[in-house]
Amino acid sequence: MKIGAVSIIGEGELADKLKELLGKTNLKVLVADLKGEYTKQVTEADLVLEAAPEDLAVKMKIFKSCDAKCGKEAILATTTSNPWVTQLARATKRPDKVIGLNFTRNPFEEKYLVQVVKGLQTSDETVQSVMELLKTAGITAVKLEETPGFILDRVIASIVNEAAVMYSSKLATKEDIDNMMKVCVNWPMGPFEFADTLGVDRVVEILESMSRQLGPKYQPCFLLQRMVDAGWLGKKTGRGFHVYS
Amino acid sequence: MEIKRIAVLGAGVMGHGIAQVCAQAGYEVNLRDVKDEFVQSGISKIRKFLGGSVEKQRMTKDEADAVAGRINGMTDLKEAVKDVDLVIEAIVEDINIKKDMYKELDQICRPDTIFASNTSAQSITEMAMVTKRPDKFLGMHWFNPAQLMRGIEVVVHEKTSKETRDTIVDLCKKLGKEPGVCQDSPGFVVNRLLQIWYNEGLNMYDEGIAEPKDIDTALKVAYNFRMGPFELRDLVGLDIGIASTTTHYRELMREQFRPPRCLIMKVKAGDLGRKTGRGFYEYKSGN
Repeated sequence: MKIGAVSIIGEGELADKLKELLGKTNLKVLVADLKGEYTKQVTEADLVLEAAPEDLAVKMKIFKSCDAKCGKEAILATTTSNPWVTQLARATKRPDKVIGLNFTRNPFEEKYLVQVVKGLQTSDETVQSVMELLKTAGITAVKLEETPGFILDRVIASIVNEAAVMYSSKLATKEDIDNMMKVCVNWPMGPFEFADTLGVDRVVEILESMSRQLGPKYQPCFLLQRMVDAGWLGKKTGRGFHVYS
Repeated sequence: MEIKRIAVLGAGVMGHGIAQVCAQAGYEVNLRDVKDEFVQSGISKIRKFLGGSVEKQRMTKDEADAVAGRINGMTDLKEAVKDVDLVIEAIVEDINIKKDMYKELDQICRPDTIFASNTSAQSITEMAMVTKRPDKFLGMHWFNPAQLMRGIEVVVHEKTSKETRDTIVDLCKKLGKEPGVCQDSPGFVVNRLLQIWYNEGLNMYDEGIAEPKDIDTALKVAYNFRMGPFELRDLVGLDIGIASTTTHYRELMREQFRPPRCLIMKVKAGDLGRKTGRGFYEYKSGN
């Protein structure tokens, strides 16, 4: 199906950014905030893009409501970074048309990557339609099966965890560990800089989810948990592994 | 102690680059390998690199000649290490061959000569303990190509003296490099963390979550990694990759380092990456 009209449900930075990104195309883009019933905005949509806060109950409600209001061919997409696509599909009568579109902003330049997340029941046709839409919008997209952390958070959380183990066991200073990864193998950031950028609390959350669903090897290092206890969450609190003024 | 004369043992991929960096910083370097053809091959690579630098106007012809003039190629071990302040060993990655070399060096070198191993896989402690100078022994782990990569892991063990460590940290800076000090441990810091990055990417492919192309693209586009884990595996070689992962798994004894199934199967099938034309990706000849 060719997507011609998109409705974004949400408010704040993410909703604004999505509107800007998709607004560059010939698509008809409507935005509905979370207060109203957004009936008017979604009835004509070929794609509803939910960008509500990371709360499964809130998202479930939106999916249920959209399922009742949208045309029966419309695709319902969530921007969540959690593996909730298959659960959200259950709130609808169109599980094959429910999909994840998770946007990650490149921390170095104004560029986005979309992780297109297939739930257990998502159809290939739905995947195809959103891939075409993202291509039209000039946004790079990758496909994956639903998994905790998706591709990016899973890799980054794993390297942060191992680096935290190395730092805890005093193999090297955190400054040296960060710098070595950059100057020895050209990493864009060191592991602790990644942690502070993502948020140490978010890293722990991803690791806990991975550890529950994929096995104990992903269990967060105790240092990371203590940092969350101390409120050292990274750039957003002014202190994580490094101090930010 | 101030380093003035350096011997680099092994004129291969790492050794010749290390010798060049030292000579460029003004040090007199003895570059030694077991056969004259290896020494000459190393020296011709250095001349080629220097020639390229002259072409790109990064240095003058005179400067390039002076650098080459500070590198003395030789095959005689005794002559190579006589009166040097530092030996940088970059010979074959075999613990027994390295230990034999260090036993001999310990006999023929001045008692105050520092020994630095460029190993990426062997235990610094184990090698240090075959000498009578473990306090003057450490790892100096360079990255390929040595002329261009800025970082050096300075690997200390329980008996490395503070003076030895400081001397080598200081030398790295004089060579225009950025040293990072770490304790002797399997994979040191950089390769150990790199294994996790590789493995987590490859594990997702094993689990049927995403294709190599999607995993590589995600990391490059979202975070500016220059290559993804599959591309880098193909570039370095899957045989080298599996050896490294297996060593980490064996020595660290943790699940995180278990070699992924896709890597094992590719190696068994003889698809070792770019060098065989196929690894995780296909390469047309000439790529």
